[in-house]
Amino acid sequence: MTEKATSASRDERRAIGLAAVILLQALTALFFLGDVIFDLLQDGLIDDLHMWIEALASIALIGGIFFLMRELRRVMSRLSTLDRAMQAARGEMADVVEAFFGDWELTPSERDVGLMVLKGLDNDAIARIRGTAPGTVRAQCTAIYGKAGVDGRAQLISLFMEELLAGEANLHPA
Amino acid sequence: MTDTTQHKGARLAAAPAPAFGVRVWDPLVRMIHWSVAAGVLVNAAIVDEESATHELIGYAVLGLVLTRLVWGLVGTPHARFSAFPPNPAAAVRHLAGLLRRPHRAYLSHNPAGALMVYNLWAVLIGLAATGYMMGTPRYFGMEWVLDVHEGLFAWLIISVVLHVAGVILDSRMTGVPLVRAMIDGRKRLRDPTEMRE
Repeated sequence: MTEKATSASRDERRAIGLAAVILLQALTALFFLGDVIFDLLQDGLIDDLHMWIEALASIALIGGIFFLMRELRRVMSRLSTLDRAMQAARGEMADVVEAFFGDWELTPSERDVGLMVLKGLDNDAIARIRGTAPGTVRAQCTAIYGKAGVDGRAQLISLFMEELLAGEANLHPA
Repeated sequence: MTDTTQHKGARLAAAPAPAFGVRVWDPLVRMIHWSVAAGVLVNAAIVDEESATHELIGYAVLGLVLTRLVWGLVGTPHARFSAFPPNPAAAVRHLAGLLRRPHRAYLSHNPAGALMVYNLWAVLIGLAATGYMMGTPRYFGMEWVLDVHEGLFAWLIISVVLHVAGVILDSRMTGVPLVRAMIDGRKRLRDPTEMRE
């Protein structure tokens, strides 16, 4: 996950750099090209070395622009592929949670509490959010652990981690 | 501390659906958009219209628009002309339906927005062309060239006002913050299933 996130932000920076260079090159190319056309309109022919060099520079710049544009398109398409994979992973995780909770036959309030436990909230925070006494939350947690057959918060979370890591292989179709 | 925990917890518990941003505008589109906006603003309101700076900025804006046109042919999917073909009939239908139906969000431009985009590009190119002509010996001092340049400028200002109004209206009706999308490139759709080109 983190590896994906960092490669995404690297790609994002790369895309911004590419776009900036494309713009710079495009404006420079326009300047050279404008100069060549202007000279042509005045003299009607390309004869001196200066103009040839300018014409060549414009062509090279424009060629470079198309090359960079192709690269930018590739980076952007890689980024959206990555986005879709992350989205799928997120949806998958939600499905896994849903499936486990269903298997354990949690009550609606136990589901709420269980979800918050998975999101890393402590009992006090859960009690505040649900407007119940901390003792109630503790009892609900105990009920959840009992139904899940684990002996505590850490084990409960590791159940989902295991499932997620096992599923990770599907995210990288070779 | 308590407040932040509570806020975080409430958000986490309340909504399983994070407003998912779809990457829509690539950095090139965004840079061109804001550079053109800045160029128009500077040329219209700040620099002296007879100065060399005015000319230079005008050519730079032309270069930006031309680059965008090339990008419309070979660019990323949402930036291509094919994602928002000019379709006046659809634009009229879109505007007529504004207040009636539940509004639809588009990933690229909506039909009315698409027409505005083509309009803005055409006006900017026209401005650059007449601006250039004024400086050439052939058209120097010809009244009609100046008239066209000024007429186009007036139409540009009207267009910009309509463009901004359209962006505000569409953002309100679809709930998709369009200005933010043009800054970070992502459109945050309320319902990801409703997204279309």
